[in-house]
Amino acid sequence: MRNLLKGTTFEVLRAIAPLIAVVIILQFTFVKASAGTFIQFLVGSVLAIAGMIFFLLGIEVGILPAGRAVGAGLVERRSLWLMVAVAFLVGFSATIGEPDVLVLSKQAHVTTGGAVPEDGLVYIIGIGLAFFVTMAMMRIVFGVRIAYLLTASYLIVIILSFFTPPEFVPLAFDSGSVTTGALTAPIVLALGIGLSSVLAGKSAISDGFGLIGIASIGPIIAVMILGMILS
Amino acid sequence: MSGAVVLHNLINTAQGVVDAVLLLVAILAIFQVLLLKLPTDYVINLLKGTLLSVGGLILFLVGVQIGFLPYGQAIGEALGNFPHKWLAIPFGFLLGLVTTWSEPAVRILCDQVEEASAGAIRKRTVLHATCVGVAFFVALGTARVVYSIPILYILIPGYALAIVMLWFTKKDFIGVAFDAGGVATGPMANTFLLGLGLGLASAAGSQSMVIYGLGLVALIALAPIISVMMLGIIMRIRIRYRGVIS
Repeated sequence: MRNLLKGTTFEVLRAIAPLIAVVIILQFTFVKASAGTFIQFLVGSVLAIAGMIFFLLGIEVGILPAGRAVGAGLVERRSLWLMVAVAFLVGFSATIGEPDVLVLSKQAHVTTGGAVPEDGLVYIIGIGLAFFVTMAMMRIVFGVRIAYLLTASYLIVIILSFFTPPEFVPLAFDSGSVTTGALTAPIVLALGIGLSSVLAGKSAISDGFGLIGIASIGPIIAVMILGMILS
Repeated sequence: MSGAVVLHNLINTAQGVVDAVLLLVAILAIFQVLLLKLPTDYVINLLKGTLLSVGGLILFLVGVQIGFLPYGQAIGEALGNFPHKWLAIPFGFLLGLVTTWSEPAVRILCDQVEEASAGAIRKRTVLHATCVGVAFFVALGTARVVYSIPILYILIPGYALAIVMLWFTKKDFIGVAFDAGGVATGPMANTFLLGLGLGLASAAGSQSMVIYGLGLVALIALAPIISVMMLGIIMRIRIRYRGVIS
């Protein structure tokens, strides 16, 4: 545990140091923001460093093993329906709790002059993501090539983008990006690796990954469809 | 930012994080009782770790919100007021690079890739590819705001390129590439780079500040997909080349 703490602290400092160095250099050369903003940045950096150390430690000893255990347990049970239910539930609930999704929905509600219902958008993003997480898990189970699934999904996205009202297109792409936040990502990642490491004949590297990437297509398509219905 | 706003953000952030984790804990608990039956000590350790990560994430998000969002905005406004507007583009590259370098979920993904591939794909390699990719696309996003290019002119060809690359890259890299696209838009990018985009757009006097500022996030999600698959293509060519020699 002690070694892990030391290693994590070192890694976090190495990760954040360049960003802080660049900001400090910019502050004294080009940007010259007010002293208040700069001090706020320094205080925020200290909090962020401490937080990231605890977060990464906790992920390593808590979230990742837990997610893997659940993923592996799902396979042992050999029930496809249970797998579908858990994947859908995890995807949906993690998304509607993600802070960035709430912020985006509020912004969308305001910029469209109330045309987009705030709560409605959160749920639509959640359903879109849950649907695609489930599909991505089924892909691992049935051994469908990831390239087929991704090609089909993104072709649909491109085609839909020509029929979606223009003001909804950036919103749709942003919904896809914000859903996979700092917390959802490791949970979904751990589930996928857990699942593929126990299934016979699956490689953790080519089958275990891709869940996050496929999941983020769901909200894009869901919001585009919403835009078409609303107009 | 006033104290009340900070407090409000803090509560919202904490609530979202706790909600998401509670669900995982509930599912784990059900599985533990019905199916897994792991040793109690082990489960208690898992819960301790989960608690630690919740506390850490909240602390991290608060730090990023009070410190990085306003400063990102300050940088964006300063860049927007440069006498030579194109100068903002290399700065966009640099800031994209250091921000992704510090994104926690990117680190987790890279660690997992190294572990799952038993060291065959090094975590540094994926990290570097992701950071360089995002740097290029933030530069592109900056250029877009400065020269008012519609986002779809970049997004549609970008995703079309991604679909084509899917069929030429090494198979192991596909899932990793799309996951990297998901994690690159983590809390750092969503605050620091979003602030940058908003500041730049407001300094440029753009009418639709929100649309221009937000589009940047979609570009950041696309960036690692292309750069990591590019890495996969390079690896594949290298392996073939080596095969010819031996």
